[in-house]
Amino acid sequence: MSTDTPEADAEAREQLIDLAEEFYDQFASGEVPRMTIPTRTKSNIEYDEDKNVWVYGDRKSTRSAKSVSGAQKLLKSIYAIDFLARQLKENRSSTLRELYYLSESWDLDEAQFNDQDESNQLVEDLEIVSGVTREDFHMRPEESGATLMGPLYLREQTRRGEREIHCQEDVGEGGYQIPNNPDTIEFLDCSDALIVHLKGQPARATRRITKRLHDELDLPVVVFTDGDPWSYRIYGSVAYGSIKSAHLSEYLATPEADFVGIQPEDIVEYDLPTDPLSDSDVNALESELEDPRFQTDYWREQIELQLDIGKKAEQQSLASRGLDFVTDTYLPERLGEMGVV
Amino acid sequence: MFSTDRGTYTMTSYQSQLGEGAGIAEELAESQRAISIAEFFEKNKHMLGFDSGARALVTAVKEAVDNSLDACEEAGILPDIYVEIEEAGDYYRLTVEDNGPGITREQLPKVFGKLLYGSRFHKREQNRGQQGIGISAAVLYAQLTSGKPAKITSRTKGGGEAEYFELIIDTDENEPEIDVAESAAWDRPHGTRIELEMEANMRARQQLRDYVQHTAVVNPHARIELREPAGEFKFERATDQLPAETEEIRPHPHGVELGTLLKMLDATDSYSVSGFLQGEFTRVGGTTAEKVIDNFRDRHFGREMAWCPPRAHEAADVEAAVADAVANKGREATAAFAERVAAAAGDRDRIAHHELVAVIDDAAEGIEAEFDTTFGDTVRENAVAAAWKTITADRESDLYAIVDGATTTRKDDAGVRGMAERIAAKFERAEDDRDRLTRATLAEFVRKSAADTAEYDDVTFGETAREKVVDAVWDVMETVPDDPPKVRDVADDRDAASELLEAMRETDIISPPTDCLAPITEDLVLEGLRKEFDADFFAAATRDASVHGGDPFIVEAGIAYGGDLEDGGSIEVMRFANRVPLVYQRGACATTDVVKTINWRNYGLDQPGGTGMPNGPAVVMVHVASTNVPFTSESKDAVANVPEIEDEIELAIREAARDLKSYLNKRRSMEKRRRKQDKLATILPEMAEKLADVTSREELVIGDSLARIMSNVLIDREVEGDTVRLTVENNADTNASPELTDIVSAQPRDTDGASVVEMDDEWFVKWEPTVASGEEAVLEYTVEGDADFDLSVGGVADEKLTVNA
Repeated sequence: MSTDTPEADAEAREQLIDLAEEFYDQFASGEVPRMTIPTRTKSNIEYDEDKNVWVYGDRKSTRSAKSVSGAQKLLKSIYAIDFLARQLKENRSSTLRELYYLSESWDLDEAQFNDQDESNQLVEDLEIVSGVTREDFHMRPEESGATLMGPLYLREQTRRGEREIHCQEDVGEGGYQIPNNPDTIEFLDCSDALIVHLKGQPARATRRITKRLHDELDLPVVVFTDGDPWSYRIYGSVAYGSIKSAHLSEYLATPEADFVGIQPEDIVEYDLPTDPLSDSDVNALESELEDPRFQTDYWREQIELQLDIGKKAEQQSLASRGLDFVTDTYLPERLGEMGVV
Repeated sequence: MFSTDRGTYTMTSYQSQLGEGAGIAEELAESQRAISIAEFFEKNKHMLGFDSGARALVTAVKEAVDNSLDACEEAGILPDIYVEIEEAGDYYRLTVEDNGPGITREQLPKVFGKLLYGSRFHKREQNRGQQGIGISAAVLYAQLTSGKPAKITSRTKGGGEAEYFELIIDTDENEPEIDVAESAAWDRPHGTRIELEMEANMRARQQLRDYVQHTAVVNPHARIELREPAGEFKFERATDQLPAETEEIRPHPHGVELGTLLKMLDATDSYSVSGFLQGEFTRVGGTTAEKVIDNFRDRHFGREMAWCPPRAHEAADVEAAVADAVANKGREATAAFAERVAAAAGDRDRIAHHELVAVIDDAAEGIEAEFDTTFGDTVRENAVAAAWKTITADRESDLYAIVDGATTTRKDDAGVRGMAERIAAKFERAEDDRDRLTRATLAEFVRKSAADTAEYDDVTFGETAREKVVDAVWDVMETVPDDPPKVRDVADDRDAASELLEAMRETDIISPPTDCLAPITEDLVLEGLRKEFDADFFAAATRDASVHGGDPFIVEAGIAYGGDLEDGGSIEVMRFANRVPLVYQRGACATTDVVKTINWRNYGLDQPGGTGMPNGPAVVMVHVASTNVPFTSESKDAVANVPEIEDEIELAIREAARDLKSYLNKRRSMEKRRRKQDKLATILPEMAEKLADVTSREELVIGDSLARIMSNVLIDREVEGDTVRLTVENNADTNASPELTDIVSAQPRDTDGASVVEMDDEWFVKWEPTVASGEEAVLEYTVEGDADFDLSVGGVADEKLTVNA
């Protein structure tokens, strides 16, 4: 999705300064400075037929200096632009968390971030408006801890030079740590199935590497999670793209990814041990029924079934049928049904 | 000792010669001659406001100042009052000076002997004096505690030299005496000065100062100065307008009590009750008097039952009975008489005894004329008796219909019949053959009958049902034509007087006139508040006159808010009755109660718990003006909780509070705007600076952006050669109508519809454009050569305006 070259840095920097120029011109002509970005809610994402992913729709919201909060947002944006432009010029990088703490050092109180969500969101805003990804701003997230395990042989650009790594033989029990910018990886060979451990809602790097594994190595991607609404969202962001970063869906989403389970149907079929749905589970399911990404017959059936039975199950509940049940029975059956094996 | 009649203690200025006033005096005159006035005073000093040295001083000041104000106003003089309190050895010396009309030697005893000589009636006029016992009490208090006489200096208007008197009250004889009377030098052209030495202390200093300050608030036409050992205060005059003169009105029939009525009956020159009512009361003319008298008759004499006369076909035959009763009058005359009586009676739905008498008299006179025979009293009486017997032969069926009609719930028929039968029997057995009885007797008939019906017929008539029966019967009964007792008989008969009073109260009578009241008026309430409080906002409301009992009243309210008023605690409530501040018993006053019941949060004041005294830098004043302000007690410190007055107090306060609310709302939105402006004024320049920095471009000028951001009205000036162009751009959501005045140092031409005024070689060019939201207006003129401009803009709040001109 990006490569770290001096040309790319200069380009990214120019995009940022162009944005500042725009504000400057608005001020100079006596207008109210403002920034228009797509509305980042689930009601404003739509399916892109060409790319097979969900992207932002046409609804825009305008952040204008007419209100105190709008002015404050713009001020923070300009401070962030200043910081990022400087960082690119000096060829340094920082993490999102560092940006948040760094703002504490800015002399103007109004420019400081209230919390990290605010700074994270602001960086995403700048990505959207400038068309440059945050990786190209040299902004890293904190390590998500997601790992990969399997007979994959790859070459990674590290600060200590190129390394060739086999993701089963050269790694410990924990597996291969997915780096923040997986685009510095070159795949050399892969002989069998791989496991990508998502560690909850997958980070961008996790989704990006998954997409590349599919696109470049032609590996089928299946997602195996718990049987609850939060897990369906994990699948959603792998396959369809997340709402927060729909502007990057093209790079991050793997539309061909399939959902294995646990499906609500499985809970019934295998009579799995369950927990009752909590109120927030029910709300989440209902909200998914309205989520454009889940508007398929399959999902509607599954979600309605789950609301109907009022139960959810963990992946591990399959162990109630014996420890080998997953590998010997469940997965072969499901993957067979899905036409993967 | 004290009568509880309202307004018995009344007085006007001591300088006026009117001798109206104190019920205390009257009581004293009647029953207390035996004891000395000193003893009387000692016994009652708590009611007179002299129960402590601290309070005595406040009361004395209050009496003296109230009197001075009244005296000045009556004489049409703008009051100028000086109050001084000094320590004088073991005592305090109080001096009160005014510029009133002055007082003569002859008037002195009347003024200061008020406690001793009272007049009979309460004066129906709005005056300050209602509130106190008068300066005489202060004189007496001073004399009893210090032994010193009251020292009075006075000069009457155009009366030459001032005179000096020393006055003491001879407590053995209960007479005021002038000890010293000599001419004196005095700098006031007219006025009165009174000096009293008394046992006192300054512990009520705050109340004293409050009293004087509050007096100044409600008397903006007065100039008052207070000098006391710890401070000096001057309250300047804010208006030259004297309060409107009040007129005395006669009492309203709904506003008197038995004691007053008895006194009035005793004193009137009228002979008849009708004359008395019309002569002594307001709003009573012939018709109203007649209504009152009818009600009085009903109470005094009772009514007569009117029965349905038997119809011609019924067994009881009036004609036959009358014919039988008349002897020796000739067959034809007798028959004609009987026929006429029967016809006249039969024409009526119901007939009462006195109506039958009239019918028979009428018929008898007709027959006498026609037949030339005499139908004397005996004949007529016999005829009446015979006819009445026939008419009342069947009371029961008559009553049955009435009782049945009055009983809405389906009562058992036997019960209704039993009831009718028993009531009928009571009429039968009653002493008065004319079936005449009072409502009370009727109610007793019904009560007893109901009790018997319950016992024998097992049908219950509850209280409501009985009341309905009484109403129904009373309704068909007729007021009798008897002459009401004469005034002197009523005056001697407490019961009759009480009946008359009830009759007066029961009768609908239009409300008393209200032009006898002189409110301070909204404008002067505002003036008064403005001059005494350095606040940011003032509101006032004067209600229309209303009536409680028989007394008209007007309530006014004022509010001062913000500025130098103390914040952080409860608001201050100033209470006034007839322009006199009420200092004590705040908690017992209707005014305070009403303030506490209002939800002040609605009006933008903080009120912990949503009830009770609100907090904030505010003063609320309430003035109740009435010919008779009802107080909770004789000490007259608190307005009584009369619902009509409470309602008006509430409405007046709410009216003023609504203005406060819109002021506070506006202020809040302006504050918000200012905060926003302040915030943006720090953020935007920083933003501009950072942008110049990031883009490496020149520094930004952001004034116009700022104006648009603030939704302000933006005014720019452009000068192109001789043409001056002012652009008014309205960025707000509503129309703007700024008033632009450009002061130009050279003569402007082609001024685009502006009004131009020249003054001292400067031209004032004035426009008042209305600019719609989002629009702009361009105002142009030409001016030759170099000119200076100075633009001032009104009509738009400063917060909403950006002028670059």
